[in-house]
Parts: sequence; C-alpha cells; structure tokens
Amino acid sequence: MPVQISTVKLRVGIMSFAHVHADGYTPLLQAMPDLEFIGFSDTDLVRGERAAKTHGAKHFSGHEMLLAQKLDAVIVCCENVGRRKLVEMAAQAGTHVLCEKPIEATLEDALAMRQACTSAGVNFMTAFPMRFDPSIRLLRDRIQNGDLGKIYAANGINHSEIPRHHRAWFAQKALAAGGAVMDHTVHLTDLYRWLFESEVTEVHAVVGNPFYPNQIDVDSAGLVTLTLENQVFAGIDCSWSRPETYPRWGHLKLEVIGEKGALEVDAFAQHLNVYRDRLTWQNWGGDPNRAMLEEFFASIREARAPSVTWQDGFEALRVALACYDSNDAKQPIRMERTSS
Amino acid sequence: MGQVHAAAWLEAGAQVVAVHSASLESALGLAARYGARVCSNVAELLEQVDVVDLCVPTHLHHAMTLEAASAGKHVVCEKPMALDLSDARAMIAACEQADVRLFIAHVVRFFPQYRAARDAVQSGQIGSLGVIRLKRAAYQPRVSGENWFLDSAKSGGMILDLMVHDFDYARWLGGPVARVFAKSARASRADSPTYYTLSDFALVTLEFKSGAMAQIEGGWAYPAGVFRTAFDIAGSSGLIEWSSDDTNTIKSFLEPTNSGSAEVGLPLSILAEDPYLTQIKHVKQALETRTEFLVTPIEALEALRIGLAAKRSLETGRSISISEVN
Repeated sequence: MPVQISTVKLRVGIMSFAHVHADGYTPLLQAMPDLEFIGFSDTDLVRGERAAKTHGAKHFSGHEMLLAQKLDAVIVCCENVGRRKLVEMAAQAGTHVLCEKPIEATLEDALAMRQACTSAGVNFMTAFPMRFDPSIRLLRDRIQNGDLGKIYAANGINHSEIPRHHRAWFAQKALAAGGAVMDHTVHLTDLYRWLFESEVTEVHAVVGNPFYPNQIDVDSAGLVTLTLENQVFAGIDCSWSRPETYPRWGHLKLEVIGEKGALEVDAFAQHLNVYRDRLTWQNWGGDPNRAMLEEFFASIREARAPSVTWQDGFEALRVALACYDSNDAKQPIRMERTSS
Repeated sequence: MGQVHAAAWLEAGAQVVAVHSASLESALGLAARYGARVCSNVAELLEQVDVVDLCVPTHLHHAMTLEAASAGKHVVCEKPMALDLSDARAMIAACEQADVRLFIAHVVRFFPQYRAARDAVQSGQIGSLGVIRLKRAAYQPRVSGENWFLDSAKSGGMILDLMVHDFDYARWLGGPVARVFAKSARASRADSPTYYTLSDFALVTLEFKSGAMAQIEGGWAYPAGVFRTAFDIAGSSGLIEWSSDDTNTIKSFLEPTNSGSAEVGLPLSILAEDPYLTQIKHVKQALETRTEFLVTPIEALEALRIGLAAKRSLETGRSISISEVN
C-alpha cells in the first residue's frame, strides 16, 4: 500500500527505547516542523517512563498500541536480537521503517525483514548516519573526482567506550548477538562499500575480549581487514577500547590512501574541550542523524526507495558475522556476491 | 643514515676515524667533516677501528657483519637486521664466536615518547594490553644515485625497511607474537604496469600469545616531506594516545625554500637530545661497561621474523602462524 502524503504531516513513532540512539532521534523528531512525533513504545515500563519524562514524549507500553496510531513511519530502536519481530509488526501495519544497525543478529532474520517490507510495500532504510556526514560526503566527492588517483587502501577507526553503562544489553550475547564487532564494524563497512562502490570479497578479523575478561560474554575488541572487489583493502578497529574516563564516547576516523596521497576525516573533530571534574568533548558540529532522518522522510513523501537500503544493512551484517567466522578459522573468509 | 650516526658518535665522545662508502663522493664528504680517513674497502676500514657502524643497504648487513666479526670488531648495524632469518642467525653466531658485540639500531626504542609509553605499560598503568595501534606513514625514500630502498631484494621493501620499527616496538610492548596477517598496496597491485615505482601502504594485524592484538600501519604513500607517526595503546584499565600531528613544539609558516626535505624523511623531534644520539650514547656506554644493549640481537631477529611473516601473508593471502617462519 504505497502511501500518498505530500502536504499532510507525517506521523512518526519510535519502537523501543532500548537503543541509545533513540535518545538522539527523539529531540530531532520533536523539532522537525513537517512531521508529528506521536510517541514511542517500550515494553520495559521503567525505561519507558524515564524516557517519557526526559523527552516530554508519549510512552506506549505495547508496540501494537503505538502502531494503532496510524503512523506513516517508525524507527526501530530495540536490541539487535528481535528487530525482525518489530519490523514485521510495523510492515504489517503499513508503516515505513528506519531500522537501527546491525539490522538483525542473523542473515535469516534479516532476509525475513526484507520479505515483510516488500510484501507490505513499505520502505526499509538502514540507519547509517555517517553517509550523511558532510566531511565524509566531501571525501566521497574527492575520491570520485579522482583527486586521490587510484585508491590503494583505507584505514578506519570506530572505537568507543563499552556502552553497557548506557544500555546493558550491548554487552550481552543474548540480546546483542556479539560485542564490539557487532556494534561497530557495520558503520565503516558501509562507508567503504559506499565510498569505493565495491563489494567486500574477503574478511579477516582478530576478535577478543581483552578489556572486560570475566565481566561480559561478548567481544570487546576487533581488528578487521576487508578486501573489496576493486582490490582496495581497508582496516577497521571496532574496539571498545576507550576507557570510561575518555572525554567522549569515542570517535570515527578514516584515512584513504591513493596514488596521489591521502585524505583523512575525523568526523567528530568539531568539539569544545570542557574542563569540570574531568575533561569532556562537547560537540559543536552538526548531527548527521538529522540529514539521515530527512532522507528517510523525503523517500516516503516522494514514494521512492531510500538512499540507504535494506541491502546495505544486509551486506554490513554479513561482514560483521564473517568477522567471527574469520576469528574462529584464524584465516581470512571469502565472501561471495549476494544474488539479489 | 651514515651522516646521522657519524654526528652522534662524535657528540658521544668517540672518534670517527675511517669511512667507507660505495659512493666515493659521500665518503670524502664525511671524512672531511670528521677528519677521518677514506678506506677503499671494508677490510682496510676494519684495521682502523674498535667499532664498525654499518649504515649500508640491508642486503650487505650479513656479509659485512661476518667480516667485521672475524676481524674482532664490535658491530652496530642498521635495521632491519637482515633480509632472512638464516642470515640473521649467522650474524649472531659469528659475533658470539668472535666475542664481539652486535647492536641492531632499532632507534624507535630511544624516542622518548615511545619509551615513556612502554614504561607506562610496564609499570601497569593501563592494566593488561588489549589493542595496540601503531602508525608510521611517510613518503617514498629518495636517495641520490641508485634507490636501493625501492628494490625489495636489497631493502626488503617498505614492510621490512620501515615497518620493522613498529614490529620491534609492538613486540617490546606485547611480548611474543602468535599470528600475522598483512595486506599491502604493492601486493594488491602486482599486476600494475607501474609496479616497480608504485608507492606502498600496508596494514599488518598481529595476534600476541597473550591474547592482545595490534594493527600496524606503514606507508610510503604520502607526498614528499610528510611523515606521520602515532600510537594508541589500550589496556584493561587505561589508554595511552600519542600522535605526531598533535605534539609539534614548533610550527613554521614560511615561504618555501628550494632545498626540499631530507632524503628519507627522518622525523623532526625538537628535543634536548636527538634520539639518534641517545641511541649511540647507549651503545657506547654498553660497550664500555660491558652491559646489555637495550635491543638484543635476538629481539632484532624476532622483529625481522614478524616482517617475514607479514611478507609471507602477502604472498599467500593467508594468516601466518609465527612458527611457520623459520
């Protein structure tokens, strides 16, 4: 059921506040003039009440109750495991979906999500906000303009503190299906596929839990090397290697090396050094989530596919899962092209 | 490097008495500056000295070390120690048999920031090691005359010539290495028509026996004059970050000159004492007091072994167990 809504305000909700990003999306949605933020659902009533208070938003204690509000779009922000269920519910209600990453815990669940959205005729967009970061976009323009010449390689860092103090499930295998590798490999994997317009052919990873031994049942560190069809190879450090005293959650940095030199992006460099009881880095730059949300809503209004698709989320998930296979095999893993 | 070491020996209180070089011009220049004698071959030079400092291309390290040892002279030798393990072992054995000392110039250990970070790790400030990131990215070395750096048969290529610094440092921090996986631009572009002039960039992943891991980044891919180094050492209870980008003590905003930059891009460190001098002072003192070197020949051999494992990984596309490299 393709939706026809060009002048009417989109009705938008968030399914689950399990993911920390829900706290970032909510104020952005509340401030957007051309949509109506209806509220959010969370079956964790304590978390739901707290979020309702923090954001001045309406809390629905069941997902069906939120979906009954005749929404145009939802953002699925539950734990990694279980996104399929919420996406299927949303699709059956005829609601377009923006889904947190990694899109699910297994390829089978991810495929079922696509099936649900395709049959219902609703959009599925994967939440990869870094594609909307202006510095990353400039990097892509310069690569495509040939300013680096032939690209040799890239090396990226997406490390952070362990997110368990914000949401415990990130470091619980039953709900996250993995640790640092599941959490952080997908962003840079997606950027590499998008920057170089090439698919991953090989994954090598060393994965471990050197930072929180005997405290968590998932990995806290990973060093990943991807090889793409165009011979570019690219590193990813996805580790939860920043201590809790770090001035900020972490960062996303990326250097691309070509025959004419290199370009390096530090996407979150725009910060103030603020000293109180300890140093903190406070952002004064933009928030790429805003442009990502705008693209999601634009794709709905214009009745077209979003610029970041289910396939993008699926390919990134395949790489994250291959990291674990590589670490088990102690060898690089070959990736076949997805037939789609 | 011969000029840097000669200046350091003089500053450390030694005499530079004899010089030999394949290039008579550079030998004459160095000899004139230090009042040294130019020797037309190594044997003649060895007659004049107590210590010989080998700043020659890597493929010559083995034969010259053996010659020096048989002449009963102590040897200081640039890194990498050799191009293969059998040569490295022969160098160690020859020096032991001749009862002379062998020092491999892994100068990074004498850079104060690297040493301070290692001290912090050793003293338990960051707990047990988790993820080590080391970066050493420069431009293609340029030398007057034949550019032996670009000839892998003579230098071992960027992996051995440049990255061996960080292989040694990583091992100094993290102990024995279990596995090595590598990717490089040259290996990926072996079919390129410009292969022999291709600049290089590599990512090498190490897995330590302790369970810690390291990513070592090396490059000869920047434009001339750019040299960046960094480390990020994360442990179970702390983190050490350092980058050459952020610790310049002096910045210049001057009109360009015609002189260009140093031939092989040595990092500029505005320090009370140049690390190359610190290194030579250490060598001189250890020789005089008969105490152990900060870098033992076995450690230099182990750094080479990691480099050779990385090269084998490039050749085979596999992750290499260090025990496969003998």
